[in-house]
Parts: sequence; structure tokens; C-alpha cells
Amino acid sequence: MEAIVAQNLTKKFDSFTAVDGLSLEVHEGEVFGLLGPNGAGKTTTIRMLACIISPTSGTAQIHGRDITKDPAAVRAMVGVQTESPSLYERLTALENLEFFARAYGMGDPARIQPRIRELLEFFDLWERRGDRVAVFSKGMKQKLAIARAIIHDPPVLFLDEPTSGLDPEASKLIRDLILKLSRTERRTILISTHRLEDAERICSRVGIILRGELKVTGTPEELRRRVAGEAKVVIRVLGAAPELAGSINGIPGVSRVEAGSGELVVSTGDPALTTPDIVRRIVEMGGQILSVRPFLPSLEEAYLSIVEGMRG
Amino acid sequence: MKFESAMLVFWKDWKEIRRNYQVLAPIIFVPLVFTIVLPLILVLVPSVVGMPGTAFQLIGPMFENLPPEVRAAVSGMGAEEAIVYVFALYFFAPFFLIIPIMASSVLASDSFAGEKDRKTLEALLATPLTEGDLLLGKVLVAFIPSIIVTFASFVVYCVVVDLASVLRFGGELLLPNALWVLFIFGVTPLVALAGIGVTVIISLRVKGYREAQQMSAILIAPVLALVFAEVGGAIVFGPLMILLMIGVFALVNALVLVLGIRHFHREELLTRGG
Repeated sequence: MEAIVAQNLTKKFDSFTAVDGLSLEVHEGEVFGLLGPNGAGKTTTIRMLACIISPTSGTAQIHGRDITKDPAAVRAMVGVQTESPSLYERLTALENLEFFARAYGMGDPARIQPRIRELLEFFDLWERRGDRVAVFSKGMKQKLAIARAIIHDPPVLFLDEPTSGLDPEASKLIRDLILKLSRTERRTILISTHRLEDAERICSRVGIILRGELKVTGTPEELRRRVAGEAKVVIRVLGAAPELAGSINGIPGVSRVEAGSGELVVSTGDPALTTPDIVRRIVEMGGQILSVRPFLPSLEEAYLSIVEGMRG
Repeated sequence: MKFESAMLVFWKDWKEIRRNYQVLAPIIFVPLVFTIVLPLILVLVPSVVGMPGTAFQLIGPMFENLPPEVRAAVSGMGAEEAIVYVFALYFFAPFFLIIPIMASSVLASDSFAGEKDRKTLEALLATPLTEGDLLLGKVLVAFIPSIIVTFASFVVYCVVVDLASVLRFGGELLLPNALWVLFIFGVTPLVALAGIGVTVIISLRVKGYREAQQMSAILIAPVLALVFAEVGGAIVFGPLMILLMIGVFALVNALVLVLGIRHFHREELLTRGG
């Protein structure tokens, strides 16, 4: 089932087009990453999908509810972590969460208090619940903003740079939470991020948005393959790799061999077919193999390559 | 729109406001000046120690400009009694327009434009609270404290004036009288609402609290004009003027309400002025 369906979503601010005809489908339980440079239209897309602003044209459905026809219902079923923490700094952590829990319709205190405690304990903020948010560090504010976004257990979450400003430990905590919400609880999560290593770890699919247009979508691996060109196999060997390179070059299906210190990078049209022959040849030549792995560029390399290519 | 949701916004904003000294300071100190400091200087002190001769020379022309009905009311009094009477019952009345308009515009600026400053608006607008819930909650958080401050100021002013009148008028209490009660309970709430309405419209179009405050200062101009008109004898503080003010401010409020509701939309709040 599709949890988010956007059709030709467009947003114009006077003569500037922030989002241009964006169409997108995100499956239930999926983590979808929206990637793109600053000003590409990621935040505007999230604001439209979360019914904070309305589209100039086009529409979208969140769990079947139309964002233009039934925005109140959409707001009630989504959680939003905004670009800035957007917290009331003169209120305490507890007061912030109590306000938003009630604003999201969790009227019963017997339901609100345990939920707040659960979240504050999860984010290691329970001991600081009575402190005003103004004295919190950037990372603490970010964690509290995410707690606010999920306070009402929404089936759909929009997270704008969720790991921004967090230390590695807290980043991992957020990544693990996102994966748990997605895999165990079937929540649908759309995240916007510049941290491509995070997107690579947690997103089942990503889309690259540039100048308001969604240019590419696919799994991180599809995007990596897209820029990788011919498949490559990296073989780490003990001893002189250049001596082995010449003998591998002649194997059918191998188009190129690059030899580095203790490493051979073999370009081949079909790794599944040629890798056993390559390994056999190295062993016959007396080479000692330490590891064999397929080579793909990282998502970051793929992203940069795609964005540069599109900018022309 | 649900009243319960509006009250949720009200209490959230009130908790913020009562921890914000930048907002509280003018709301506390301006009424103190108008209800204690100035009346002590102009009403109570002359009652206790008498007026210096030069003061009569300064105030004399002002008395000549007073309308006939006020001059008739003080005709049988001595000079010092007349000064206490006129200052207490007529001169200070317009200041009680400044208190609600100042308090309501400061509070409304913080509540509406302040959210832009503090970048808290986006999360608030992402909730299912309707525009009506937000508008009512924020109007109430500006209106209720403004009115409490105005009414409390009136009580304090009555005490200060009556201390003077007990000394000068043989135990007679000048305030509260019917005219002032009609003025305080009939006019000042409408003035507070007008201040809030204008500030809401301004807040939709500015970047933050300071800009909203600077632009809202224009609200004081018509009130100052009233003060000068009264001192100059052009108008007199009486039932006719009070009824006229009720009518004018009711009209202003109706106009501002229509404009406010027409322009108070999520998108306008988030994207305008920023």
C-alpha cells in the first residue's frame, strides 16, 4: 500500500518556483530519503506534504487523505520534525511535550504522561525534563524535537535533517529509532538529509531533488550502480599484485585490471560469471587471496556524480 | 474551532509570557507611572503640602479652556480643591486608554510575531489546531492580562485619588463614580481588542516582535491626540464622549476582526514578512 502519493506537486512563491511538478510514491513502512543541495525544494516539499503550506498546483494523498481537501486529517496523522527545532525555549521539556501531545489530540493525561516519560527516557532527557529548553544543547533540542514529532504515534513521519547537530552516538540512536519505527512498527518515514552516509544506512529508497524537480528515485544501490559504469571486483591479495594483473587480463569477460598495492580492481561485464575464473587464475599463479568484494561507489559519490551531471 | 483547543494555546502562551521580562516590564511599569507616580505628584502631593504659586500660573490657562460644565462643577471650590478635582476626574482619564492599548499590543506582538522570531511557528502550524483555535487562544492571551492590568490599575488609581479627596473634600470619595465605571468597563476592553486586532494584522506582515512593536506604537498616536484635545479644552471627558468612544471602537473592532480573519492563514503566518 502507498502511504504517500504526490502528483505534480508544485509550489511557487511569486515568480520563484520552489517545487516543480514533483510526483512521488512512498510505500507503507518505507524510509524514503529526499536528497538535494540547499534550496533544492526539500523543505518546501515536506511542508506541503505535512499541510503546513498548500501547493500552488497538484496534490498528494497521505494514507488516502488528500492534502488539499482534508488537511486537518492529514495533520493529525503525520509527525513533523522541522528544519529548526521549533521548540518553546521558555517552557521546560515536559511542558513542550505536554502542549504538543494535547495539540495532537491526546487529551487523556493517563495516556500522555507515560508516553512522555517513555520518549524522554529513550532520548536520555528524563532527568532534564524540568529544565527550560533554552539551556539545552543543540543535540538535546534536536532529540526533543524528534520526540515531539512522534509523541502522538503518527503512522507517517516527516523528518527534516534528523541527525543534524547530533554527536555520533545520538545519530546512531536516531538512525536505530527510524529503522525500528519503519521495520517493526510499519511507520512510513520521509527524511530530508545532507548526511548521505545516514541515507545509505537507513533509506530503502532515495530521490534526488534539484531546482524543485525530483530528478531520480531508486534504492541507494540502484543509484550507486547507475554511476558506477561497468561492474568492478576488488581483490585484496598478499604479495605483488602487478605480477598477477597480466595473467588476469586475458580471462574472457575481463575488460580491464588495475593493480595497486596489494589490491586488484577488475572491470568485468558480469562479475558472477567471471569472478570464479579470476580467483582460480590467481590461485594457480600462486597468489594468496585475502578478500574478494564487488566494488560500487558510495551513495555520496553517486549523488555528487548525478547532481553534477544534471547541472551540466 | 474548539474553545478547549484555544485555551491550550492560551495557557502555553501565558507560561511563555510570564517568564519573559521584556514583555512583562512595560505592562507593569507603565500602569505604575499612570496610577501611582503621576497621581501622587499631581493629585496627592498638592492635597497634603499645597500648591506653589507658580503652579497656579501654569495651570491657570488650562482651567480657562475647560468646558463650561466642568468649570461649573469646580466653581464653588478653592483653587487647590479644583486642581485635585479636575486632575483626578478628567485629566487622567485618557491615560486609561494608553494602558490597555499598550499592554494588549505588547502581548499580541509577542504572541503572534514573537513566534516568528523564535522560529516556533512551523511546529505549531503542523499540529491539527485550526486557524480559529490559534487566533482565539492568542487573542485571549493578549486580552485577558491587558484587561486585568487595566482594572487593577483603576483600583489602585481610585485608592490614590480617594486618599487625596479624603484630605481635601472632608472625607468624600471621588472615585469610583458612574462615569469612570462606564469608561473603564465599557471603553477599555474595546480599546484592548482594537490594539490586539491591529497588532495581529501588523504581525502577519513583519519579521518579528521588535518590528511589530515599533509599528504598533502608532496605536498610541490617537490616544495622545485625545489627551492633548482634553488638556486644550477641545473635548470633555463625559458620558457623550464615552458613548462616542464605545461606538467608534466597536466599529474599529468589527473592521479589524473582518480583516484579521480574512488574512489569518497558516501560509500567511509562515511565509509573509519572513
